[in-house]
Amino acid sequence: MKIIVFIEQIVSTQVKLQGVDYFDSTRVSEDDLVINPSSKNALEGALKLKDQLGAEVTAVCVRGLKPNKALREAIAMGCTDAIEIADENIYTDDPLLLAKVYVEALGKIGEFDLVFLGVEEQSTGSYAIGAMLSEKLGLPSVLYAEELEVIDSGYKVGHVLEGGRKIVAMPSKGVISCSDSQYFTPRYTSMRGILTAKRAEIPKWTAADLGLSSSVVGKEATSLIEVSFSNIVLEKESYIIKEGEPEEKVENLLAKLKEDEVKLGA
Amino acid sequence: MVKTLVFGQIREDVIEENTLGVLNKLTEISGISEIIVALFGHQIKDEWITELGKHGASRVVSVKAPELEVYLSRPYVKAMLEVIEKTEPMLVIAAGTVYGEDLIPRLAVHHGVSCAQRINDISIVGDELHFHTPVRDDQAMKVNRIEGAIKFATSRAGAFFVNENPDGGSPNVESFDVTFSEEDMLVKHIEIKKAERTVNLKDAKIIVAGGRGVGGKEQFQIIRELAEILGGEIGATRACTDVHWIEETYEIGQTGQSVSPDIYIAAGISGAPQHVSGIKAKTLIAINTDEGAAIFNFADYGIVGDLHVILPILKQKLQG
Repeated sequence: MKIIVFIEQIVSTQVKLQGVDYFDSTRVSEDDLVINPSSKNALEGALKLKDQLGAEVTAVCVRGLKPNKALREAIAMGCTDAIEIADENIYTDDPLLLAKVYVEALGKIGEFDLVFLGVEEQSTGSYAIGAMLSEKLGLPSVLYAEELEVIDSGYKVGHVLEGGRKIVAMPSKGVISCSDSQYFTPRYTSMRGILTAKRAEIPKWTAADLGLSSSVVGKEATSLIEVSFSNIVLEKESYIIKEGEPEEKVENLLAKLKEDEVKLGA
Repeated sequence: MVKTLVFGQIREDVIEENTLGVLNKLTEISGISEIIVALFGHQIKDEWITELGKHGASRVVSVKAPELEVYLSRPYVKAMLEVIEKTEPMLVIAAGTVYGEDLIPRLAVHHGVSCAQRINDISIVGDELHFHTPVRDDQAMKVNRIEGAIKFATSRAGAFFVNENPDGGSPNVESFDVTFSEEDMLVKHIEIKKAERTVNLKDAKIIVAGGRGVGGKEQFQIIRELAEILGGEIGATRACTDVHWIEETYEIGQTGQSVSPDIYIAAGISGAPQHVSGIKAKTLIAINTDEGAAIFNFADYGIVGDLHVILPILKQKLQG
């Protein structure tokens, strides 16, 4: 059994860079780069099946400034191996172009059973890749999965639904996107895993290796054209207390609420 | 003029709220010439059509089939592609629910274009449609346009208000059949497990809610204690209810309950749109260790600090 996990790397949202600056790659250091939290849920989904069924799990990273770093962490978590796809001719801001790259990567990898992805990329809220990939592959899919159970015909998957959870059955070959749920809570890297990751050889593929060019997956090929990108100026006036000892902060808040005649309590 | 097709969603036997919000938004944009709604199901109820008309739909196109009783990607994509072919819209939009977000990117793939995701505004500039998507915890705004004859988009949940006094008329109604094969039904519906809603938070005046930052089941005690002192209710994000730190009835947000208290205290909550879309509070007070957390964008008051330190002090001061 072979599982491919497509992961993304983002700039940690804990960094001080705010608004538009956050997306300025020249201001980002390697330490700021982390695996997209949702991609970690996907890794966990695949690794649970590895534990259970002895699956081979390959992590693939296309979107990110230093995919190699993210992939070493994926191996440290327990992935069997990893593939880096890095090329300035790939425009990863468009989920459709990213889906095209994923399809060709799967073609080059060869046989596989399941594809796992995270439900969304945290920094932009982009979620379309899972649906686009499964549609391009023509494979059955379940998105926003929260739990997964192996059954005779394939998998029983519970996914997020407004007001509850929906349970469906899917065949053994397909695409699953994973949510931040108890079942998909990512494991930590192990000491042994970290050592394996250090030694691991991670092949690097380019667009040309996948038979793709910038006219197919580059910025010139996108149908999603950026018109503007700017900071949001809040109209709302907020009173946010950042300085002081905890006790002072609370006193400050209560005094301000009193001044504004906001009654705390029934 | 922009002819628009909206994916009509039903939740618990009525038209889903965010879909009504999308309709309201579309009626406000001059330049939208016709609002068509696609309705799918095993049955199509007259009251749904009346409701859609009231909220601005001028035409409802329905497909009735047992395979469409519950949303499943393949049959819904197939039906929607046929509606698109018949109605020839320039914009296809769905409210950003789980189903809407599943459907729209798939339709876009079939038309060879990308899609706009989780928009909170649409504008028409010249003869172009501009889609506004907030990013980086709502600190920046990306505006995109989409090339191609048909544009596809989803709204962000809670982005558009529902018109409380809609005055639209009766829409034109048409229906047609779509046939499905076994290949379309490879993913099979088993059941929907409705979350237990034993506590109604809708009328709560004060809510103290916890998020992932609370850290565990036992740590929720301080949230409960503060709520009790304030005479309020407790609430939580889906992340907390899913890991059973707290009962699922307390989930607030897109997939939980919608609330409109006088005071909402958000402790250890990052402020993801899926949670914030369920809150319409007069006053929101946020406590979070991360100064850049999106919740501070929505907060009227806030403390940057650890809730496990701040809340006990707050409790003590309120008691004393």
